[in-house]
Amino acid sequence: MEETTGTDLFTVPIGPQHPALKEPSHFRITVDGEIVTDATVRLGYAHRGIEKAAEARNWVRNLYLFERVCGICSHIHATAYALGVERLAGVEAPPRAQAIRVLVAELERIHSHLLWLGVAAHEAGFDTLFMYSWRDREAIMDVLEGLTGNRVNYSANVLGGVKCDVDDAQRDAILKALDMLEGRSHHYLDVVTTDALFLQRTRGIGTMTRNQAEVMGAVGPTARASGVPRDVRLDAPYAAYARYPVMRVVETAGDLEARFVVRIRELFESYRLIRYLLDNLPAGEIRGRMPRRVPQGETISRVEAPRGELFYFLKSNGTDTPERVKVRTPTIYNLTSVVKLVVGHQLADVPMILAGIDPCFSCNDRTVRLEETNGRTHHWTWDQLRRYSLEVEHGRSL
Amino acid sequence: MDAASSFAAILFFPSGLFLLAASLAYEWVDRKLLAQFQNRIGPRWFQPLADVVKLLAKEEIIPDGVNRWLFVGLPIVGLAAPLTAALYIPLAGLAPVFSFPGDLIVAIYLLSVLTMSIGLAGSNALGRFSLVGATRTLTQLFSYEAPFLLALLGPALIAGSWQISTIIEVSAQHWFILTQPLGFVVALIGLMGKLELPPFDAPEAETEVVAGALTEYSGRGLALFRLGKGVELVLGLTLVAAFYLGGVGGPLAFFVKTLALLLIVAGLQAVLARLRIDQTVGLWWRFGVMLVLVQWALTWLLQGGWR
Amino acid sequence: MKLATMFQDVFPSLFRAPITERYPFERRETPDRLRSLLTWDREQCNGCGMCATDCPSQAIEMVVFDKKAKSIVFGLHVDRCTFCGQCTYSCKQGSLTLEHGAWELASLDRGDLMIHFGEAKDVQDVLAGVTSRPAAPPPAEAAAPSGAATEPAGG
Repeated sequence: MEETTGTDLFTVPIGPQHPALKEPSHFRITVDGEIVTDATVRLGYAHRGIEKAAEARNWVRNLYLFERVCGICSHIHATAYALGVERLAGVEAPPRAQAIRVLVAELERIHSHLLWLGVAAHEAGFDTLFMYSWRDREAIMDVLEGLTGNRVNYSANVLGGVKCDVDDAQRDAILKALDMLEGRSHHYLDVVTTDALFLQRTRGIGTMTRNQAEVMGAVGPTARASGVPRDVRLDAPYAAYARYPVMRVVETAGDLEARFVVRIRELFESYRLIRYLLDNLPAGEIRGRMPRRVPQGETISRVEAPRGELFYFLKSNGTDTPERVKVRTPTIYNLTSVVKLVVGHQLADVPMILAGIDPCFSCNDRTVRLEETNGRTHHWTWDQLRRYSLEVEHGRSL
Repeated sequence: MDAASSFAAILFFPSGLFLLAASLAYEWVDRKLLAQFQNRIGPRWFQPLADVVKLLAKEEIIPDGVNRWLFVGLPIVGLAAPLTAALYIPLAGLAPVFSFPGDLIVAIYLLSVLTMSIGLAGSNALGRFSLVGATRTLTQLFSYEAPFLLALLGPALIAGSWQISTIIEVSAQHWFILTQPLGFVVALIGLMGKLELPPFDAPEAETEVVAGALTEYSGRGLALFRLGKGVELVLGLTLVAAFYLGGVGGPLAFFVKTLALLLIVAGLQAVLARLRIDQTVGLWWRFGVMLVLVQWALTWLLQGGWR
Repeated sequence: MKLATMFQDVFPSLFRAPITERYPFERRETPDRLRSLLTWDREQCNGCGMCATDCPSQAIEMVVFDKKAKSIVFGLHVDRCTFCGQCTYSCKQGSLTLEHGAWELASLDRGDLMIHFGEAKDVQDVLAGVTSRPAAPPPAEAAAPSGAATEPAGG
């Protein structure tokens, strides 16, 4: 426990257990009264050793392991991994499969943005919006369950294609859900941009200029709300996005309200894209043949998760087990912006600014930060950590 | 009143056990209404009772370094004060048990003792969230208390007395909500501020300061504070109903009027987002005070006060 | 700037029934494609074991006494299965399907969560710990149950 310092500043810990966080992380916020003067972040509480575990499982089993890096954006993780492995193997999934991948990805984006809307409203103390947006989200969950067989962790992908096809019954169910949701989304856009009390919590709060966004490396809707026109679906189209492009959704205000508006406008883009896609699905098979041993090589895979750019690096040594898989999730890019932006705001704005980047702490950190009792800190790389653990294990130094 | 009936009044009816039972019932109605507004099922009828029973059975953990007497004693004071205030307030549609000139001020003061106890308890508990929450509780106390008091004094002005039983005799004939609508609005919303209901729940904002001043409390202390808040809900609704909605007319009218007010309070909780503490203070010291002063000016004018 | 923009949702809800589904008194129909409990068809199976190799959580333990006579025991750890459906794709013979209705699988007894499919005699042997039989007709490939080095289920 830290005591108050002599200058009336004290640190409020947000996390690892805190009602504002849905997953554990640690923000050390230094406040002077109610104004924040400093903030640091510490991650690693959700580290599960997934990348190391991937080295002990074959390519097929890893598809499902990486699907579980995140529960909200599970499909996009699996898609990024599958696209990477297919690229290494020189296999192209059939067009219908790619289109269905895009369909499920956009459905996932809708569910993720609606989830986020509810959670951000809850952080602001607006529980009613939370309840109603999650009620409406059930429509998408039911559609996904009917299409893929599960509400979360859809497992729609296999290496080489997809598992689930779209028939007329599915198509009708999806269109019906979209019609209902479109009306509701207009209502939520109205609430978010005109409700006086809600605007007091979001307008002008956490403003990030375009320059700041570029310097801090923000991605996804967080960056697009500050005028940075970055969207992997358009900058580097993957799966079927070259054939079914989306429109860029960009706002310039850069504050929390802009982040709300960007995400709700992205919902409309997703509705439009799904409708177009369902009318223009290419005919054909939904999976291709994949070799069990993937040829040697390295590749990267970049996709647009609901939170921003998701980056996979895959390295194969020619066997049926990967040599290295590295995942870089969008929240890691966006967290820097949180700790920089909260300074100068009130303590009550901290959860809101954090919610504004749509944090998903299931991404693990890659470095280990050691704090000695005398206050000195150093950062370790993966190699150093590995060497230390082997030393401890075998009782000798390498 | 002789000693025996005074004790009965304090321990059983209308204060004491009856009031505690009513506070649990009203808390349930509030939560159930809020759930209905949010299109979901709320808790079952015995939930508040179950919460209290569970909390009373839990171990009380006293943090290191706090003043034990304050930590244990403040919840007791915090519950005792509203229970005492109930003696001057027309509960259950009956006349107040005790009455003397100026008891309106005493009752309102006793109702504030709970908020002050919560603030003190938070400061005493020394945890970081407790300190921030205690600061917010006391800041909020200073913002809504004056407009709330002035709004309740509006009918007192017309009745020409600061004694509750006199005021309700006048308000029984004359529904003050019709002649002093602004005062009614300020009184009702001031009640929401007093009870730290959304949108004024910044002092106990779960997503910011965990539980505010009561973060370090568990077990018996928390149960007593929660009961105190429930009692204040009933008393506050009774006061506003008695003053503005036509006095007391017996138990049936009491329940109907207070539950109607509770419906409005629950509706306001549902549609409004939380205000930050500085926005709460700004709102009250600008609009709250302005509205109530305008109301007073109008009342004074209509009374022919310029003569 | 408006006040109480959610009023149009909140007020009508006062007169509507809550949307909450009162499970277990109300149960919705499960969709056809819901992935629930796995079933195995012994006639189709050829004992290749690809399902066990590809299972992400090592939920399948296959003991093959005699491929030709289809003397195979298929063991399923229901508590490890993630219902992903990969096994149904890895199996080229079509012997595995995921049912769509058996999703209420909770149990108070761990024994309920290990299912053995197969001929009664074979299953008895496996339960007794026999993993191979010296069979007269060669080749009797007594495949060791895969995943014997039990790592905890991933994820």
